[in-house]
Amino acid sequence: MVVRKQKICGDIHGQFHDLMELFRVGGDVPDTNYLFMGDFVDRGFYSLESFLLLLCLKVRYPDRMTLIRGNHESRQITTVYGFYDECLRKYGSANVWRYCCDIFDYLALGAIVLGASNTLSPGNDPTTLPAEEDTEIEVCNADGHVMSRFRRQGGRINLIRETQTISPKGAPSSSPPVNGTSSSPSGSAPPAVGAPTNTGPPGSGASGSSGGSVGNPAGAVLCVHGGLSPLIDMVDKIRLLDRKQEVPHEGAMCDLLWSDPDEIDGWGLSPRGAGFLFGADIVKVFNHKNDLSLIARAHQLVMEGFKEMFDASIVTVWSAPNYCYRCGNVAALLELSEDDSGLGIFARSNGDVNRSDGGMGQGAPPRGVLMESDLARKGGGPARRYRVFQAAPQDSRGMPAKKPVADYFL
Amino acid sequence: MASSQAGPGTFPKLEILPRGGNPHWTFLRPAKRIESGGDVERFLTSRAYRDIGIFVLQLNRALCPRKLPTGTKTFTLSTPRNDPESVKRLQGLLTRIEAITDEAPPDKGPRRFGNVAFRKWYSLLDERVDGLLKEFLPAGLLKFGGAGGSSEEKGPLVELRAYFLGGFGSSQRLDYGTGHELSFVAFLGCLWKLGAFEGGNSGETSPGEIERSIVLGVLEPYLKVVRRLILTYTLEPAGSHGVWGLDDHSFMPYIFGSAQLTRPITETEAMPLEGSCPGAPKPADIVKAAAVAAHRDDNMYFSAVGFINDVKKGPFWEHSPILFDVSGIKDGWGKINKGMVKMFNAEVLSKFPVVQHFPFGSLFSWDTDPNAVNVPVVRSVHMTNQPIASGVSGSSGSGGVGISAASTSRPMAAPPIAAPWARTGFPPSEVAAPPVPTEFPKGTPGMANNQFAVTKAPWAKN
Repeated sequence: MVVRKQKICGDIHGQFHDLMELFRVGGDVPDTNYLFMGDFVDRGFYSLESFLLLLCLKVRYPDRMTLIRGNHESRQITTVYGFYDECLRKYGSANVWRYCCDIFDYLALGAIVLGASNTLSPGNDPTTLPAEEDTEIEVCNADGHVMSRFRRQGGRINLIRETQTISPKGAPSSSPPVNGTSSSPSGSAPPAVGAPTNTGPPGSGASGSSGGSVGNPAGAVLCVHGGLSPLIDMVDKIRLLDRKQEVPHEGAMCDLLWSDPDEIDGWGLSPRGAGFLFGADIVKVFNHKNDLSLIARAHQLVMEGFKEMFDASIVTVWSAPNYCYRCGNVAALLELSEDDSGLGIFARSNGDVNRSDGGMGQGAPPRGVLMESDLARKGGGPARRYRVFQAAPQDSRGMPAKKPVADYFL
Repeated sequence: MASSQAGPGTFPKLEILPRGGNPHWTFLRPAKRIESGGDVERFLTSRAYRDIGIFVLQLNRALCPRKLPTGTKTFTLSTPRNDPESVKRLQGLLTRIEAITDEAPPDKGPRRFGNVAFRKWYSLLDERVDGLLKEFLPAGLLKFGGAGGSSEEKGPLVELRAYFLGGFGSSQRLDYGTGHELSFVAFLGCLWKLGAFEGGNSGETSPGEIERSIVLGVLEPYLKVVRRLILTYTLEPAGSHGVWGLDDHSFMPYIFGSAQLTRPITETEAMPLEGSCPGAPKPADIVKAAAVAAHRDDNMYFSAVGFINDVKKGPFWEHSPILFDVSGIKDGWGKINKGMVKMFNAEVLSKFPVVQHFPFGSLFSWDTDPNAVNVPVVRSVHMTNQPIASGVSGSSGSGGVGISAASTSRPMAAPPIAAPWARTGFPPSEVAAPPVPTEFPKGTPGMANNQFAVTKAPWAKN
């Protein structure tokens, strides 16, 4: 359970120099709060260094760093995708790998960010006007310059200054939350489950900027590495999981770390062989039942660094630029502003098992009850700023002094 | 020409089936046999495994420079060859395959990574494969054996098409990896067994010439087609573990390319275990972009590294640490070649994620090799993480992988396996038991092998 302004990051995969770039773009710790959604290790050259740095920051600033577990934080996966080999190569023994895996077992499976504001806090771009009241999404480049903005009712806001686009495809091509104007996947949601068509995500009480009286103006954001599970209909059920174990091959814990959203109805089999695919209807019902405005997740490479789906009810954030040295993608981090109204911030610790009334004391609507005013709302959740960045420059990395002996070639 | 030219007969060659000697040869639709990690051990005692090994080593040795009375003869990609008709026809086949790319331009729209237009490319190939094979393979070949020796229905086409199609990546997963490369090598092996390369050369040929034509005249052009596919459709590396693998897609060019630069031998000498050909680029040159550019048109190893340089950005030692390590080897290309063969055996042939898709028919047979010997082999932590058939392990339900203890335990002893073909060069134990610390698994099991951008569950079933 995390409150306050957060920068939410996706997969790192051992790209240490790019992680440094991420901190440069996002701001230093502890001045900035970070939430990393897993997959720190595997594939890259510096899995160990990346994970240990994040772990050190977590130890030093426990309330400013949040690390949750990805599907790669697993013994079995790391033996296949590189982290095991990396540790052996760097230390000549598997002990470091083993200790890291023991720590993986303690990582959280998800996090809730509370108190996200529906208005953007001022960015650090002096060359553009401050965001207007109804700006919902702002995309910045690595220097903090605003690349594009999107209004709450949809539509791009013309910036006063021509922006340079660093994304190869023009960054937010995948993220226009144009409610009510596009044929959104939500249209296929069966009416029986109560997900209204062409509205913002249920439970996004925050989305109406002047909306009114319905309490919690800032719905919570659920952060999880993969996605949803058919076995988890309430966020509180995640708390009941015994997470201190290797990631199982099936079941709720596995699904949270492995699932992917997809343009389907309901649940589908995942081509990954673990977890499930889930459609817009699943997300909308889940968000509504849990009073969430947004699910932030990682787990899938997206060329533009981030991708919002299902009327902005779920977003994929990817933080490993030029993945594997060759994908040519940009990376992104998601910045949620703090709601300074004081409303919507309600603490709930891990100890509060089964306490599903969340923000009741703060005037939030009773969970599971669809308010008329919710139905009438349009818009897509808390204000979001994406900072898009590219791979770190490579000039100053030096070179290893000697080449370790490769065993096949002894 | 095959075995008769094997010099003193100490260097095995893949057998060529006697044409007409067995008119009732029964071709089989190749079928998947490797369903679990345990089946890999069984595979390592199969005739197919033996034949793959023999064929690869046969090709490998042919690429090694030769000592001649007139001096050293090297076999580079640009050395003029007298390719036989059979090889020229395969080149024509590959040209036609590559041209399909023009009919299936990549989709422009937003995408994740692999381009779905590859599915169209592949379906066009699938539609045409029978016609293309009939057009470019000798007519007699497709009537090999069978009832009365004339029926194509009972001929080898069913086997050839399976390995051929398997050589061009996965349209479902939009990826390409060493398992696909292996399939194409098996396709060439099928052709060899069926005698497609027999007696094609006009006039006298020197030993190994046909093998060199197969590698330099067919396999390298094949790799070029594959590289174009990878670039055009941004195919993902099947079974990638990021920087900790030899190469995202290929293995063969590192074997044959290192052979091209190894110390010269006579026709009766075994493959050297160390030493370089005089005048060959140094192993350390592969980290120098200019040297790679200078040699990539001559040497398969440099050609493969050149492709890496084309697609990857970043310090070479960082994105390709295994190749970087190899570049520090002081004992020459012979040492590298020996290591590559060992690594191929361990990382390709012994890896469930790679070989699980390999199908078995009559030419590459699942039958046990009667000469396979069992020697103790060390199992790595990777092997213990391969899926175990539920019937074998006794575990049930959840995919049958012993995950808790097994996955963290140190390597444990297990029975099996020797590489029968390894006896020609290397002690079996050395080949069959890869040293633990550098065993880099080629991805995980599962229907999806594993893509590079998309992690697949190692326990996934097809």
